[in-house]
Amino acid sequence: MRHYILFFISLTGLCSCSQDFLNTEPYGQSTSDQFWRNADDAVSASNALYEPLDDESFYGHTEQTFEICSDDFWRAGDHGEDQAIEDFTFDANNAQLRESYTRKYEIINRANAILINVPDIDMDAGIKNRVLGEAHFMRGFAMWRQHVIYGSLPIIDVERYRNNEFNVAKPSVEEFRAFIEADWKKASELLPVSHSEDNIGRPSGGTANGFLAKLYVYWNKLDQAIAAGNKVINGPYGLADNFADNFTIETENNPEVLFAVQCLDGWTSAPYRVYTTPRPWGGWDFHEPVQDLIDEYEDNDPRLDATVFKVGDMVDLGGNKGLTEYVEGLSQTNYHFRKFASWNEAGGLDSDQNIPILRSADVYLLVAEAKIRSGQSGDVELNAVRTRAGLTPKSNATMADVIHERRVELAGENQRHADLVRWDKTNEVDIVEHYNIDRGQYKPARNFQRPKHYYFAIPQNEIDLSNGILMQNEGY
Amino acid sequence: MKLKILQLSILLIFVLQLQGQNPLTISGSIMDVNNQPLIGVNIVEKGTSNGTSSDFDGRFQLNNVSETGRLLISYIGYEGQEVAVNGQSSFDIVLAENKQTLDQVVVVGYGTQERSEVTGSISSVKGEDMGNLPVAGASQALQGRAAGVQVVRNGGAPGSGGSIRIRGTGTVNNANPLVVIDGVPAGSMNDVNPNDIESIEVLKDASTAAIYGLRAANGVVIITTKRGKFNENLSFTVNGYTGTSNVVNTIDVLTAPQLAELKRERYVNDGLAINPIWEDPNYLTQKTNWQDELLGTGLTQNLDFTLRGGSENSAFAISGGYYNEEGVINHSLSQKFYFRINSDHKIGNWLTIGENLQITRQRGFGVNTSSAQTGLLWSAIRFHPGLPIINADGSYSSSQVSGEFGDINNPIYTVDHQDSENTRNRLLTNVFLEMKIVDGLKFKSNYALDGNLSDSYNFSVQITDQIRQNALADLGRGYSSNYSLLAEYYLNYNKVIAKDHSIDMVGGYTAQTFQYDNFSAWKQDYPNESLTQRVLDAGRTFQSISGSQSEINLASVFGRVNYSYKGKYLLSATLRRDGTSRFAEANRWGNFPAISAGWRVNRESWFGDSKVVSFLKLNGGWGRLGNQSVSAFQYLALISSTLKNAFGNNQATGSSLSRIPNENIGWETTEMLDFGVEIGLFDNRWLATVNYFDKKTEDMLIAPPTIGSIGRASIPDQNIGSLKNSGIEIELTYRDEIGELGLTLSGNASLIKNEVLDLGGREFLGSQFYGRPNQEIARTYVGTPIGTFYGWKADGLYQNQTEIDTDPALANDERRDQELIQPGDVRFLDLNGDGQIDAEDRTILGDPFPDVTFGLNTSLDYKGFDLNVYILGVAGVEIFNADRMQGLDPTYSFNMYAETLNRWTGENTSNSIPRMTTKRNNVNHRTSDLFIEKGDFLRLKNLTLGYSLPNAITSKIGMASWRFYISGQNVITLTGYSGMDPELGYVDGNLQANVDYAQYPQARTFIFGTSIKF
Repeated sequence: MRHYILFFISLTGLCSCSQDFLNTEPYGQSTSDQFWRNADDAVSASNALYEPLDDESFYGHTEQTFEICSDDFWRAGDHGEDQAIEDFTFDANNAQLRESYTRKYEIINRANAILINVPDIDMDAGIKNRVLGEAHFMRGFAMWRQHVIYGSLPIIDVERYRNNEFNVAKPSVEEFRAFIEADWKKASELLPVSHSEDNIGRPSGGTANGFLAKLYVYWNKLDQAIAAGNKVINGPYGLADNFADNFTIETENNPEVLFAVQCLDGWTSAPYRVYTTPRPWGGWDFHEPVQDLIDEYEDNDPRLDATVFKVGDMVDLGGNKGLTEYVEGLSQTNYHFRKFASWNEAGGLDSDQNIPILRSADVYLLVAEAKIRSGQSGDVELNAVRTRAGLTPKSNATMADVIHERRVELAGENQRHADLVRWDKTNEVDIVEHYNIDRGQYKPARNFQRPKHYYFAIPQNEIDLSNGILMQNEGY
Repeated sequence: MKLKILQLSILLIFVLQLQGQNPLTISGSIMDVNNQPLIGVNIVEKGTSNGTSSDFDGRFQLNNVSETGRLLISYIGYEGQEVAVNGQSSFDIVLAENKQTLDQVVVVGYGTQERSEVTGSISSVKGEDMGNLPVAGASQALQGRAAGVQVVRNGGAPGSGGSIRIRGTGTVNNANPLVVIDGVPAGSMNDVNPNDIESIEVLKDASTAAIYGLRAANGVVIITTKRGKFNENLSFTVNGYTGTSNVVNTIDVLTAPQLAELKRERYVNDGLAINPIWEDPNYLTQKTNWQDELLGTGLTQNLDFTLRGGSENSAFAISGGYYNEEGVINHSLSQKFYFRINSDHKIGNWLTIGENLQITRQRGFGVNTSSAQTGLLWSAIRFHPGLPIINADGSYSSSQVSGEFGDINNPIYTVDHQDSENTRNRLLTNVFLEMKIVDGLKFKSNYALDGNLSDSYNFSVQITDQIRQNALADLGRGYSSNYSLLAEYYLNYNKVIAKDHSIDMVGGYTAQTFQYDNFSAWKQDYPNESLTQRVLDAGRTFQSISGSQSEINLASVFGRVNYSYKGKYLLSATLRRDGTSRFAEANRWGNFPAISAGWRVNRESWFGDSKVVSFLKLNGGWGRLGNQSVSAFQYLALISSTLKNAFGNNQATGSSLSRIPNENIGWETTEMLDFGVEIGLFDNRWLATVNYFDKKTEDMLIAPPTIGSIGRASIPDQNIGSLKNSGIEIELTYRDEIGELGLTLSGNASLIKNEVLDLGGREFLGSQFYGRPNQEIARTYVGTPIGTFYGWKADGLYQNQTEIDTDPALANDERRDQELIQPGDVRFLDLNGDGQIDAEDRTILGDPFPDVTFGLNTSLDYKGFDLNVYILGVAGVEIFNADRMQGLDPTYSFNMYAETLNRWTGENTSNSIPRMTTKRNNVNHRTSDLFIEKGDFLRLKNLTLGYSLPNAITSKIGMASWRFYISGQNVITLTGYSGMDPELGYVDGNLQANVDYAQYPQARTFIFGTSIKF
């Protein structure tokens, strides 16, 4: 009898199992229906818009790869596939062309989530407008980079995001530009003129207008470019006293810097500082400026010193290296970029260094260009940039002056190749001829094919995965 | 509800208890040859249903026996007997153990079964075949021992156990089998000391595995550890061995002068000025063979003991051990400490209580040998041979010298400075109770705890003088606890009805909970790197703290009926109903049925007494199984809130969607058909088993196409795929004794075909790209096996300009007009015939799965000597030698394979190794069939020669036995493969296999050992 009693005691264990036993929940992660409750959530979602920027697969490195086609620097480094990009022999499988693709869409989709959810949150109207403005701006920004690189790509808007429609055809370049324009216009209305110290680095109305000016110049809508650019020029976004302030950690967030990848030591950092510096100095030795760029600078243009390291320069590397001379052999071209790197007192590259993406100086030059190309005088805007550099002003400045000024002012800032391409389209330069000039071993003559190389190839795996919906760019 | 079913079945059993009375009563005892009582032996009066079984003391009593009757005595694992009653009333019967495999007992889910009565497909490996091998765990010891069971190691790092695949790779997701240790579904089998293992059973087909339902789709491995026996004399066994290991092959690479010559040739060929570093006399003399410096002699040691014995009511086995393996790469190490207590106790004649307790501590230092960017062996193959290990000033040499030397850190610097350690402490214990309710009916319960505490430590020194730097030293520590609790209750009923109908039923309830909790912390900036400062408190800046927790629960009811008619016709039916908390409420419960039947042909009267065929059984079965080993909670959309960004000098964090939800997600379902023939010849000296199976996985979880426009949120899986494995398994054994020579030959072979049937509309599944060149190597397509190699087909090299000019494959290829393709470049095939070589010309190039996998084992014993020869092999398999693909590529700033000396330098100088160039205009070293090699190999995996001292001597020195042996692992390998080791494993889940990343090579190990038993 005893054992029957024991048996039933054991069986009662069964009853402890109710349906609840199979209801387990994830710990520590919010589900989407627990999110989007208040202003904190909205601001947190807006913060996430900038998080992909410093990634090695975005502005941390690969986004700058699209600039190695330019005539400013040699690819250097040891990414074998960069040779094909520099020489215009790349195909759609080139790995370096693939890396930043998903980062841009991630920003677009984070922006879409904000545009869907934030309008319904009951919160302070000022902050709500800012957050929505940031979402519009950043979606436009990610698409702007897509436009510069690919011309056009599938647009994921709020409706498609909501309906999980991600495999869609790409629209015409014209429609794509119009979408960016709408986003940036909306952003320029919603974003504040400037930000307090604790929000410095978020886009302002000036940022949106500056990018609008750039879009319009690329689009050949010169009047609109001038109008948008003037909002920057007449706003609180004046040029820094010194050109070099824009690349110095203490002053890297001065009002001239309209948009930059924000890096903070011990928190976020972009590896581009490592890519652009000499190997024995802790870098990886990519993107060495070529003599042709150096020769572009006028005598006594102080921007040369602030832009590159050259033989004989003394650089404080901190730590036990201290003040060190830049010597021959550190680079094969004898130059490295200086704009993106500085060293800690204790030694090692300082990860506080931001990467500027848009400066007012760029907008001044865009307005100058738009004016000149539409038959007006661009002297004021052009000379503002020249005067800051301590150079003599030009009068009756021509497109040649603008082309020169943009090259020396913005060297290394991911503008030159895109500038040359758009100038070719409007017959300001002949890019085929320009790139066919032999500039020595580190920038030999290259065969730019028109119109194929106006845009890069869409990554082959995206074409493959789309099952025929996404069409490759012309010529690839 | 469940309760009621149980009560009902109990009532039913009472009804079946019909008893008669008869005046003649007999009694007696049943012992084994060592005079130990045998419990549960069946005693049946022949031709009647009158029978009983022996009790705990081996005693029995049987009423109603005819004076002229005959008793049939049977006991699984022992030779049966037939005894005439002849009016006797007392019998003392001795049963001899049956050495024949067919009569052995195999362990199945929730019970045991006689091998000859199994209607499914089970491979069984005895512990004695796996003991004292210099391997880190039981999974390695299982390699090649059973047909249909593949153990694949991805490299030979100390402690790496390898992946087990039963009947092919059953899914593109987690395809690992369920491991059950002494009745507890319990994760890794490599914490069990192989010397503690009594047997491993692999439940391969659905009818045997279905009792584990939702976790059985990829097969079940049941490990049974050694136990003490009641009334067994105390014995004490000590095993010890020690030995060394070395790599067999290294890759021939260029010497410094050769490298400089070839690098210069690149510039000359391209019409470019030579980079002066290649003319710098400092780097023109050969200084270091980095592979030789990296690869040294490893050490393997093992020491363990077992104490076993039993009294009338208690039996126990206590064992403990220490295993130490130092790898051929310095600082790579795996250590294990084992401790185990198994015991069984009888309380009265109705209750047995037992327990298993296993405590293990595992400690290891791993090295990175999997990355094709920082892997140690990868680095050693490529680091500049003209650099010394240590410069004259005492510092380590560095590739910072020049961009031409690549972004590789000095591999010896890395080895000398790495400091990481992982430890894991595990307690696996269960208590079980077996209660006899009435004759034939037992109630069993089992309670288990499987707890793992893991601790990781990783200190990275500050690196300022190597190319891959670490600006500030940092320390990461991680701690996790991972435990599961199990409770299960089941009834077992065993009865022979009307003498011809034998029934064995089991049914019950089980529930298991899995709790996981971890936290980790990371600090940076350690100004003082001395060993005593490598603690979190000494770090100056805080980097991160993180932690997570999860809980998964499973609940199930299960039942199985085995029925046998006259021992001739066998039937088995199983049903398991499983619920899991991984999925949304509507998708939690599933049913997993199976049915199988067998026919013992040789028991038919018409079969007669064949002198040749001593056993013949046909069996077949079908069943449905599940696989729930996928990420939990994919039915919920998740927001991650730890995205870092900054605003000026302010830290900020952002939130975004980290996972898109799929509310309909469920488990993967596998249905399997199995047919088998088992045949014994010449008194079962020859035994052969042949099985055919067809295993189809449906609802396979696949993430939809992750096109870039989705961004970076993780995409939930959907139950949309389907995959099939089918094949033939053959196991063959020959045992004989010729005079004093004992001989066992056994072999097994598996011919398995893997085919993807459906990817839910996806054209293919991609997998991770190779190294920094980011080369795609493998894709999974419908109609082919998982992970086929994918790329271009090559047809030699262009020997002269005319070949280029006339190649129709380049008719529309603008690169020809631009003179970007030159003699000495690879001629790729224009598969789509559009006159240009582009992405459209890629195709499937090869298959990483072998056509045949086989193992051959020979054991001989003669007088005191024993010899075991164990051979393993695969045939019909291809390897993608990615390391060679990069090793021949001159566009990278790395050292190259010595084979590049045979490069193309002019017409007809080479047709396979392209010219030297710095340009990638033709991308000569793209993924192509130039780098596919045959991966067939035949490996003498183990060779052991032992000698046992004669009893006459050992008994004088108070020992029961004393054996010495020498043993070699990976002794000889016959292969045409040019890389380091043809045994390669899986990468990126199952989506890539047999791709050579310069993995940690398997070493050749020789040990000397001894076993002493008191």
